[in-house]
Amino acid sequence: MKAQQLKIALRNCGFIDPEEIQDYIANEGYLALASSLSGSRQAVIETIKKSGLRGRGGGGFATGLKWEFAAKPEADRKFVVCNADEGDPGAFMDRAVLEGDPHSVLEAMAICGYAIGADEGYIYIRAEYPLAIKRLRIAIAQAEEAGLLGENILNSGFSFKIKLKYGAGAFVCGEETALIKSMEGHRGEPVSKPPFPATKGYRGKPTNVNNVETFANVPAIINRGADWFAAIGTEKSKGTKVFALAGKVKKVGLVEVPMGTTLRQLIYEIGGGILGDKQFQAVQTGGPSGGCLTVKHLDTPIDYESLIAAGSMMGSGGMIVMDEDDCMVAVAQFYLDFTMEESCGKCVPCREGNKALYNILHKITHGEGTMADIDRLKELAVVIKSTSLCGLGQTAPNPVLSTINNFYDDYVQHIVDKKCRAKRCRALLEYRVVEENCIGCGACKRACPADAITGELKQKHFIDQEKCIKCGACHQKCKFNAIAID
Amino acid sequence: MDKVKNTEELKVLQSTLRKAAEEAASSKVVIKIAMATCSIASGSKPVLDFFKEEMPRQPLEFIIKSTGCTGLCHSEPTVEVTLPGKAPVMFGHVDVKKAAAIVNDYIKGGKPVEGTVEVCRS
Ligand SMILES: Cc1cc2nc3c(=O)[nH]c(=O)nc-3n(C[C@H](O)[C@H](O)[C@H](O)COP(=O)(O)O)c2cc1C
Ligand code: SF4
Ligand code: SF4
Ligand code: SF4
Ligand code: FES
Repeated sequence: MKAQQLKIALRNCGFIDPEEIQDYIANEGYLALASSLSGSRQAVIETIKKSGLRGRGGGGFATGLKWEFAAKPEADRKFVVCNADEGDPGAFMDRAVLEGDPHSVLEAMAICGYAIGADEGYIYIRAEYPLAIKRLRIAIAQAEEAGLLGENILNSGFSFKIKLKYGAGAFVCGEETALIKSMEGHRGEPVSKPPFPATKGYRGKPTNVNNVETFANVPAIINRGADWFAAIGTEKSKGTKVFALAGKVKKVGLVEVPMGTTLRQLIYEIGGGILGDKQFQAVQTGGPSGGCLTVKHLDTPIDYESLIAAGSMMGSGGMIVMDEDDCMVAVAQFYLDFTMEESCGKCVPCREGNKALYNILHKITHGEGTMADIDRLKELAVVIKSTSLCGLGQTAPNPVLSTINNFYDDYVQHIVDKKCRAKRCRALLEYRVVEENCIGCGACKRACPADAITGELKQKHFIDQEKCIKCGACHQKCKFNAIAID
Repeated sequence: MDKVKNTEELKVLQSTLRKAAEEAASSKVVIKIAMATCSIASGSKPVLDFFKEEMPRQPLEFIIKSTGCTGLCHSEPTVEVTLPGKAPVMFGHVDVKKAAAIVNDYIKGGKPVEGTVEVCRS
């Protein structure tokens, strides 16, 4: 049977009008909050624990346990924070949930507030999400007006308010301790854990931080029961996961599949296969913290442990499919470029180490690498991973390590043959005149910015490799298929 | 909206709204237009405007709703049409021209229009 999607977090997305609270209420909206409020705080935590729900923001920590940690300490104030920073390149799962079903997140935050004993919640959202912000504002106002947020909700005596805090779009601010610092008006720099936010978080008070998608699952779990949820997925990974399926796949989009679905099913059955029926080469999961998996991993079931065992990770749900035309060394360089830019600079291994990794990759993609550089990359990567303060630095070398492990030949080809099979690394390309096709029109010569082409009109032309800067202009201009790229 | 005072009231409200939606669906044409960032970027706004302008001219009862993301990035802008008593049909890559065909051929004529998309509804 063909693999199917199963929509839990996205259950209302695309089906209801997110700007009408009535639509949400008609679809069981706020019933989970009502039933939670009629029972004990502990009962809510038990349900979430029993469901097996784990954090969808990347780490996969057990949500019920996290709530329990935040519920325990005695404190005059506690806070619920929703992490809507979503900074992975290519990820848009959380944006879709917030734009399509904002009330499910608000309801879940209120349930969490009740469970841990907080009366205030914050959604930390990047300012680049104007539509999500607008819909959240509308949703909060409507829920307050309906008495489903605010003072004395449903006459239960429980009050809960939700406010928005805006992030400037720094990737590191998605890390929970940096996020809290940023909420407090400080620089968004991570601090070491423990203490965890559950004991000492926002303004020094116990704070529960969860991801948007994690929250979106909560009302469904309360309404349908922990057993229903726990029956979906694998032994250790329950429920579903939303993925932003992108890259060289036919049906690019947002999909939600039960845990345990294989990468092959996701890419070929749900994603429709590789664009242009080309050859699958790799799939990147886990964003800048993850890795690239190959053909031999296609039957890996999607769950937290299996993806780590395969050398990548679940991450927040970015999934980029690559075909034969993608260069894996360049892909590693792309992610390193991203993490290097986004490093907050607080600790040396991440700040300097990732730059060093990047520089070596740059050398390799420019034909200046040596075989010793591969060992150097591995050595550095291990040090950076074990000595960085936060998750950004600890995982930044993963794309490099996984591509060395899975695409070693590509590295060797760049270093030894000075060639890029995928013809992506420009410095390694060689532009050459195909003599039998050249009619000597001179178009290439006129276009060349480096004066690298010689030849008289109506004579065969010639490219001087020493002078050529590989801009590609000649290839574009030649109408006779007489410029080849090797 | 008035304040919902307790759980009982919420349950009553829920079933009233549910019934109203079901009744509407059984007697009216329901048109849902995805209006997430991705849909808007691929051109859903003029499509929404078209339906809002065109439908009142038709001798039909209808509801137009804007929804969030359908997840069908590959086919945005998407429009889902449910004729009374029929299963919903999702149309992909809808521009104003195709929207006009949807109104004339599918909604009024009951004839198929090319370019439908499979949707997961579980
Ligand atoms: C560099 C870095 C960036 C992160 N970005 C996000 C993010 O954008 N959204 C998110 O929910 N979690 C992000 N996290 C994970 C959070 O620190 C935290 O674990 C998560 O919000 C907890 O929620 P969960 O248990 O529901 O997953 C990031 C972590 C690191 C190290
Ligand atoms: S690991 Fe990188 S991002 Fe994290 S605290 Fe250190 S320098 Fe900042
Ligand atoms: S543009 Fe092509 S055909 Fe004309 S001179 Fe250059 S290589 Fe020859
Ligand atoms: S690639 Fe650019 S620099 Fe090289 S020969 Fe062609 S036009 Fe000149
Ligand atoms: S992001 Fe929602 S359809 Fe593309």
